Amino acid sequence: MASGTDSGAPVVRPFPFFRAGVRTSPDAGTRPILELKGVSKYFQRDTPTLRGVDLTVQRGEFVFVTGASGAGKSTLLSLIYRKHTVDDGHIFFCGKDIARLTSRSIPFLRRNLGVVFQDFKVISHWTVFENVAVALEILAMPRRLVRARVAEALERVGLSGRGGETTENLSGGEQQRVAVARAIVTEPALILADEPTGNLDSHLAIDILTLFEEINETGTTVLFATHDHSLIAKRDHRLVSIEDGRAVEARRGLSSWPGSGLHALVG
Amino acid sequence: MDWKSAFTRARRGLREERRLYLVAVSSLSVAFLCLAVALLFMQNLGALGERWGQSNHLSVYLADNASDTDVAQLRVVLEALPEVEQVQSVSSEQARAEFIAQSTMGEELSTLPADVFPASLEIEVASGTPVQRLESLSQRLGSFGSVAEVETYSSFFERLHSLLSAGRGLAMGLALLVSLCVLAVVGNTIRLAVARRTREIEVMKLCGATDSFVRRPFVLEGAFQGSMSAFLALLLLSAAFLVLRERADDMLTALMGMRLLFLSPLAMLGLLFGGALAGAVGSALSLRRYLVV
Ligand SMILES: Nc1ncnc2c1ncn2[C@@H]1O[C@H](COP(=O)(O)OP(=O)(O)OP(=O)(O)O)[C@@H](O)[C@H]1O
Ligand SMILES: [Mg+2]
Repeated sequence: MASGTDSGAPVVRPFPFFRAGVRTSPDAGTRPILELKGVSKYFQRDTPTLRGVDLTVQRGEFVFVTGASGAGKSTLLSLIYRKHTVDDGHIFFCGKDIARLTSRSIPFLRRNLGVVFQDFKVISHWTVFENVAVALEILAMPRRLVRARVAEALERVGLSGRGGETTENLSGGEQQRVAVARAIVTEPALILADEPTGNLDSHLAIDILTLFEEINETGTTVLFATHDHSLIAKRDHRLVSIEDGRAVEARRGLSSWPGSGLHALVG
Repeated sequence: MDWKSAFTRARRGLREERRLYLVAVSSLSVAFLCLAVALLFMQNLGALGERWGQSNHLSVYLADNASDTDVAQLRVVLEALPEVEQVQSVSSEQARAEFIAQSTMGEELSTLPADVFPASLEIEVASGTPVQRLESLSQRLGSFGSVAEVETYSSFFERLHSLLSAGRGLAMGLALLVSLCVLAVVGNTIRLAVARRTREIEVMKLCGATDSFVRRPFVLEGAFQGSMSAFLALLLLSAAFLVLRERADDMLTALMGMRLLFLSPLAMLGLLFGGALAGAVGSALSLRRYLVV
């Protein structure tokens, strides 16, 4: 897990993502951060998008989620940040079933997640600072703390000192960095990235991927959905593919990939 | 509840949406101006009614054949009554002279004979005397042989009172109409504002904003539009009022027997708060329909 911030600002986490009075399970710390069990989603009655997805993600993992267009990558992520509700199955986040949270609890779940999209979802007429600070304002954090935390997040994404600029004047890659800063500024335990490099050229894509890896190195779990195989091929992360509505383990690191002599040499 | 942040965001919303809100506020202020004018009328009519609310004046017209002793006797009886403050007798000639002096058509009327104007006793009663007391007094006076007719001026006051209650009804109807206007106009501008800020709303929801966090600035913006419109209307009305007072105060004072009054502080506060409330409600209703969060 991320160990606080360099500026010494206290990190309030985990946020009470289930409303007051509802306790998270006592063994939350030891359970996997994310467990999907038999998750199904039907947008149409007879053709399920997801049918019985089983997937376990441990704390601190970096997982690529891939699959053909329309396979259901975005759908899978949207079930986790509760844009959609599962039709069947369970999703355990920190040991708590979030598949059927009441709509009043959803905001508190989302405060524990960072979500990044292909289309950035930044507010173009706001400044860079405002775009990042909004995530903290929702938590009613004091201004002074907001300034410190935003400055730190901007530094982590390589935009330090640019908080005052209007976001629409930034390049695509920079706008995506703003979105990443917004996702990490609350120090969430889990980051969901839905094709964050889809609108960027291959150089920028690598930059953004590297940024997510740096975030992952501080302990944050990352689910990175992409159909860009050139990007996947460049890295040695766990790869889960959505095929025919199910999650298939496509590769578990190069070390377990037969024929790879590299890791055999090392370890 | 984080109202500070809601205020900050509402301020930003007002700044970004100022064109839209300006149109809304200026049209609503016309509606509020109508209401404020009606209230101003009511205020002054009400004050008039209070001042002249009941007649404390009786005119006892004497019969042509009334002898001086009869009249003197009547005077003594009247002056002995506790509610009577003053009795003044006006002879037929005096009445004629007074009428001609007051009339602008003095020339033509000067040919009128004196006996067209009956002699009278003008009675001032203590203010606060109940209407029933006056009625019974006038009835008893009417039974005197030397009295031709007693005028209590009650029909005038009845008319004033019915005018006042009609005015009250009108003001109430106008208030209702203006409230509906505010609901409709603010509701509509908020709908547009929501449509223009869908991306912001989406981002805030994704970051874990609660529904009330998203809605609160819009409600504040609606309330601001309502109270701003009322404020603008009051500003316009007070300007018009000052001009009117400058130009025509003497005439109006002579006509009404009192200075023209402006709206009471309570009425002004009522307009401002009512505007804010209607704006907030209009916004909330619109959000319920159009803000799918
Ligand atoms: N809100 C929705 N309503 C109805 N159908 C939907 C909805 N969202 C997704 N779908 C359907 O679910 C299927 C999976 O869509 P999804 O967006 O998850 O695919 P994806 O793997 O993310 O594809 P891409 O790589 O193109 O982004 C598609 O057939 C899509 O039509
Ligand atoms: Mg997708």
